Amino acid sequence: MSAAAEHTHAESHDEHDHHEHYEPFWKKYIFSTDHKVIGLQYGFTALVFLAFGFFLMMVMRWSIAYPDRAVPLLADWPWFQAWLDDGGRVTGDLYNMFGAMHGTIMIFLGVVPLAFGAFGNYVTPLQIGAPDMAFPRLNMASYWLYLLGGVLMFVSFFLPSGAAKAGWTNYSPLATTTDLHYGDLFWTGQTQWLVGMVLLISSSLLGAVNFICTIINLRCRGMTWMRLPFFVWAMMVTGFLLLLAFPPLEVAAILQLVDRMAGTSFFVPTGLNVSGMAFDAAGGGSPLLYQHLFWFLAHPEVYVLILPALAIVAEIIPCNTRKPLWGYKTMVYAVMILGFLSFLVWAHHMYITGMGPAISTFFQTTTVLVSIPSVVLITSLLISMWGGSIRFNVPMLFATAFIPMFGIGGLTGLPLAFSLTDLHLHDTYYVIGHFHYMVAPGTIFGLFAGIYHWFPKITGRMMSARLGQLHFWPSLIFMNGIFAPMMIQGMAGFHRRAFDGGKAYEQLSNQVFAEPNSFLSNIAEMLNVIPADAPLRMIDLNIVTSGSAWLLAIFQVPFIINVFLSVFIGKKVTSDNPWDATTLEWATPTPPPHGNFASEPVAYRGPYEYSVPGAARDFSPQFEDDPSALSEGSAETAATTATEPGTR
Amino acid sequence: MAEVTHDFSKTKRTYAKVGIALGIFTIITVALGLFPPLDVGPPGPTPGDFLIGLSVATCKASLVALIFMHLNHERGLIYKLMLFTSILAFCLIVVTLFAGFDPIVEQYETLKTTGGWLLKLRPQ
Amino acid sequence: MEIPYEVTPRRDTGLYNAKLGVWLFLASEVMLFGGLFSAYVFLRLGVQDGVDNPWPWGVSVHKNFVWLGAINTVVLIASSVGVVFAWVSVKERKWRNYQLWMYFVVACAAVFMCIKMVEYNSKLNHHHGIKLVDNSVMEGVIIDDTDKIRFSGEKVTFGLHSALPAVLRDLDDGEFPVFKVIDGPEETIGTELASESAFKSWFHENRRTFKKNLAEARKRYRAELAEGATPAPIEVKGTATVEASAPFSLHGDPRKILAHSDTTMNYRDGVKIEGKLISDDVIFEVHEVDMQLVLPQDQRESVVWEVISDDSAKQSFFTQQSKNYQEMAAYYEKRGEVIPEKMIRGRFLNVYYVHVPAEGSEGGEGHGEESDKHAAVHTSETNPAAGATGGEGHHGPSRHLVVPREQVKFMGNHGPRYGNYYAIYFTMTALHGIHVVGGALVLLYMVVFGKKLYLKNPEHLANRVEVGGLFWHFVDLIWIFLFPLMYLL
Repeated sequence: MSAAAEHTHAESHDEHDHHEHYEPFWKKYIFSTDHKVIGLQYGFTALVFLAFGFFLMMVMRWSIAYPDRAVPLLADWPWFQAWLDDGGRVTGDLYNMFGAMHGTIMIFLGVVPLAFGAFGNYVTPLQIGAPDMAFPRLNMASYWLYLLGGVLMFVSFFLPSGAAKAGWTNYSPLATTTDLHYGDLFWTGQTQWLVGMVLLISSSLLGAVNFICTIINLRCRGMTWMRLPFFVWAMMVTGFLLLLAFPPLEVAAILQLVDRMAGTSFFVPTGLNVSGMAFDAAGGGSPLLYQHLFWFLAHPEVYVLILPALAIVAEIIPCNTRKPLWGYKTMVYAVMILGFLSFLVWAHHMYITGMGPAISTFFQTTTVLVSIPSVVLITSLLISMWGGSIRFNVPMLFATAFIPMFGIGGLTGLPLAFSLTDLHLHDTYYVIGHFHYMVAPGTIFGLFAGIYHWFPKITGRMMSARLGQLHFWPSLIFMNGIFAPMMIQGMAGFHRRAFDGGKAYEQLSNQVFAEPNSFLSNIAEMLNVIPADAPLRMIDLNIVTSGSAWLLAIFQVPFIINVFLSVFIGKKVTSDNPWDATTLEWATPTPPPHGNFASEPVAYRGPYEYSVPGAARDFSPQFEDDPSALSEGSAETAATTATEPGTR
Repeated sequence: MAEVTHDFSKTKRTYAKVGIALGIFTIITVALGLFPPLDVGPPGPTPGDFLIGLSVATCKASLVALIFMHLNHERGLIYKLMLFTSILAFCLIVVTLFAGFDPIVEQYETLKTTGGWLLKLRPQ
Repeated sequence: MEIPYEVTPRRDTGLYNAKLGVWLFLASEVMLFGGLFSAYVFLRLGVQDGVDNPWPWGVSVHKNFVWLGAINTVVLIASSVGVVFAWVSVKERKWRNYQLWMYFVVACAAVFMCIKMVEYNSKLNHHHGIKLVDNSVMEGVIIDDTDKIRFSGEKVTFGLHSALPAVLRDLDDGEFPVFKVIDGPEETIGTELASESAFKSWFHENRRTFKKNLAEARKRYRAELAEGATPAPIEVKGTATVEASAPFSLHGDPRKILAHSDTTMNYRDGVKIEGKLISDDVIFEVHEVDMQLVLPQDQRESVVWEVISDDSAKQSFFTQQSKNYQEMAAYYEKRGEVIPEKMIRGRFLNVYYVHVPAEGSEGGEGHGEESDKHAAVHTSETNPAAGATGGEGHHGPSRHLVVPREQVKFMGNHGPRYGNYYAIYFTMTALHGIHVVGGALVLLYMVVFGKKLYLKNPEHLANRVEVGGLFWHFVDLIWIFLFPLMYLL
């Protein structure tokens, strides 16, 4: 099938679609049940929340770098007024609020919706050859619940109590006892956080049910389990993680909500004193129970963050190396084992809560075990690139950068997996550096790669490569500029929750990072941070980190411009398959209409058949029936599935 | 549209029987609760009473799941799903419970965190 | 566009979409209730003797309600049977039968919820407890909301920075007084605020002004700071005081009050009320006393005896206690064991101080009968001396105790706050109740609006009923475990 033929077909289908079911704007783009529109809704909302979470972080970084200076630009905003101190400096309350909400927004409102909600929704049904999700209306409900939860979280900033201030983990009893003096307990940030979480969790549960059901039941004819693209596998595992790990957090949120609203003491121990006064509750509860329920979700949640990004990278690498994905089956099994093990490692976040050594040993073992499938996945991706003729386009750049960043994030996690080293590193900047390497240059790079990769399918136009380069290289540098110093500071013992960045402990944190007049000190002088003849101290790294963060923000501008401009003036794609990829989403008209495929799709072969010996081109798409390129085994399966009418 | 092809009278009889069985089990549950069989000493249930009470509940639950929820007609997929889920639920309950378990100060800690229950369960 | 496998099952999985979906949903529900049961086990086994509130034994809490629970179990089982018969009816294409069965199921759900309400109502409104400072616990009924602090207010002082003073919600109904501003923003001093809405609009306006002034002052402060000077501190008046034309009465919720004295009451949100304390004593109708959390050697000196001030009660308590001790000693001697420490300290030596309610007494409505039975149980089974004590109860006043607030450590109804048993009982049964209501609504929808689908494609309707039924059976299944765990064991 030539590209031109495909295109005419697509156009005719478009027209047909247009005449048959005309839908008003609000139905087509707002209350849509089309998985692609919902995916885009998820994507845009999540990007807005990501930007907002980033903004919170920039304010926090100001407080850390310059705790004794007024916040620039913002001090006159009425809302900020109320939370800054008289001199316009960030207060501890504001810092706590932004810290808690930065974590919550980035994870639950930013990355998960973007990775799972947006990419999963848009790509999964296309890749398995389904006309839509199994439950389109449920899909819509899932998005609107998410939006409602997000709006509640956002609105909570403007309540008299401000938003939640007890960390993104919302540990009891701190979270239970914070802001209890407000007259209207329901409309406090802390309570709204819980309500918002219950909504977000419900949304994720609906989404997960929908995804798994779609993948199991709506695969097209010939799409056997081992012909599913790796992305689909990863989505299914992610779906299971959400489905089974989120309910315990929902329990934790409900119990904490009852603790706050009805005065129960699920998480309130006997004899608790708050601000020097006996706390008025029956007692007998256990703060540890909250942590167990919370981390039972929150550790699998880490994999919910990372797997979709990994899966996107696994789609992009074979496409741009023109080689099959190395060890596809191994990767599939690895991702399943990873998913299962991720449920059994949760208490490695709780080594210092006084758990017994027996159970600590159990969790150390499982934690180290879980690194095995992770390494299998990352190694397979590396080997996939070996000896390929690599096209370094923008998605490939991000995908390539993902691998070492993910590697650093993973390896720095090992010291945290052992309770002995964790005693030293717990709650320091090292932990922040570790998991941000996973989710910021790791997951977010994967997601950027995905946006650049699928943008031509979504809009029919390419994104600008030049702006993409301008986005990628500075992002790579400044991401590392942010998180590498954190590792160093963390090992030096910097506590993660000091809102002045350790200023209060300046005398204690005087360790010298670079001698006077050394290379680094000279750079520091050049950057106008400190004079070259003064030693560069650990605490001065705060400025490096903060500066990198603001520069990173600036270099996201090319990306935003790129997205919006390319929709209108990007180069038009000449075929439905601009990257010469093999998976089914490239068989649809561009952009795919409601119902996706012009004719019923059939999968004839495995997902990554690039450079098949003897084939006419260097890619043999799943959707093309080309007997000359078929290996014997797959031809047999295709034949059997084709003759069996029940198994579509 | 598929028309009636199957005779349901046998199915209906099964359902009615299961309903009656569940009713009988309920009476057993209440009787066990009001007159705990192992409660010969001080008032209140013993671990044994829990075991018996929950076993009866499990029997009832199995009947509901197998007959009413048609698990006896389902294929492997659902079983795998539920097995996986039960393993995780079990871990959540049991591993959480053992979090306070410390072999070094076992006696003391176990007594404190479990009110002596685990010690009683342990073979002497 | 049509989504495949909506009605017919897919060959290789053997499932249609909705069935697979609902099973996945049930898996997540298993984890949800798994988490709750995990909390139940963790909290119940985590009770530390003599420190935490003891975990009551299900039967001992529910007393007369075990039968209600059992009836509810049967009702749910009947409804489950109803659902499968409804499904069979659709399969047999008998619309009329289907309707009947489905309405039967929904009716069962309604009965279930009504019985639930009866239980909740009894716990919330007719059972209270007071834990005294030495951890002895009195069970009974708090009379006439006297757990609230009764106060006659004249002046209210509050901050202008955040929300409207919450105290306005504690005012007794229909009594919003006319307030006059006596301190606060200068230009408003002397203003009369005749109604609640006037007060609100005055408050909001002045809050805006306050914020504006503060913003300006801070701008000035920052500017001076930037110049390197030591800026003068900011002085913007952020509080106001209003005086009522006539004293207003209010019932202060003790959980919202930081401290109170004869002339002032300070709320936790910073509002201060000046006036006169009417009374902060708790009036309590005592039914029984629970001394498990008091060490045996301290029991004779317990505050309880001061509060009850009834020597015969104290006498009968200790007589019965030594009798119980001897019985227990005999029991363990027979088995050749030493009495465990836990038994000596635990609930097993306790005797209940029982009041037979006076006839036609107030506060006895609705639960009089119950207390009667209650008394009967204890008099006949455990405490022959209680008859004598109860006899005194007939004389009236000694039954209603006046408990000084300083002696109270914790009090409340047998709602979720009262202890972890009650907390998890209410949380789990309420969550289960929400599931029942949700399921019943879905089933009701299927029968009320199902005819169209039935005519179009009865198999589709049968599938829907099966899927709705799966959820319904799951709800039944949860109850099968909840009933013994919450009511019996």
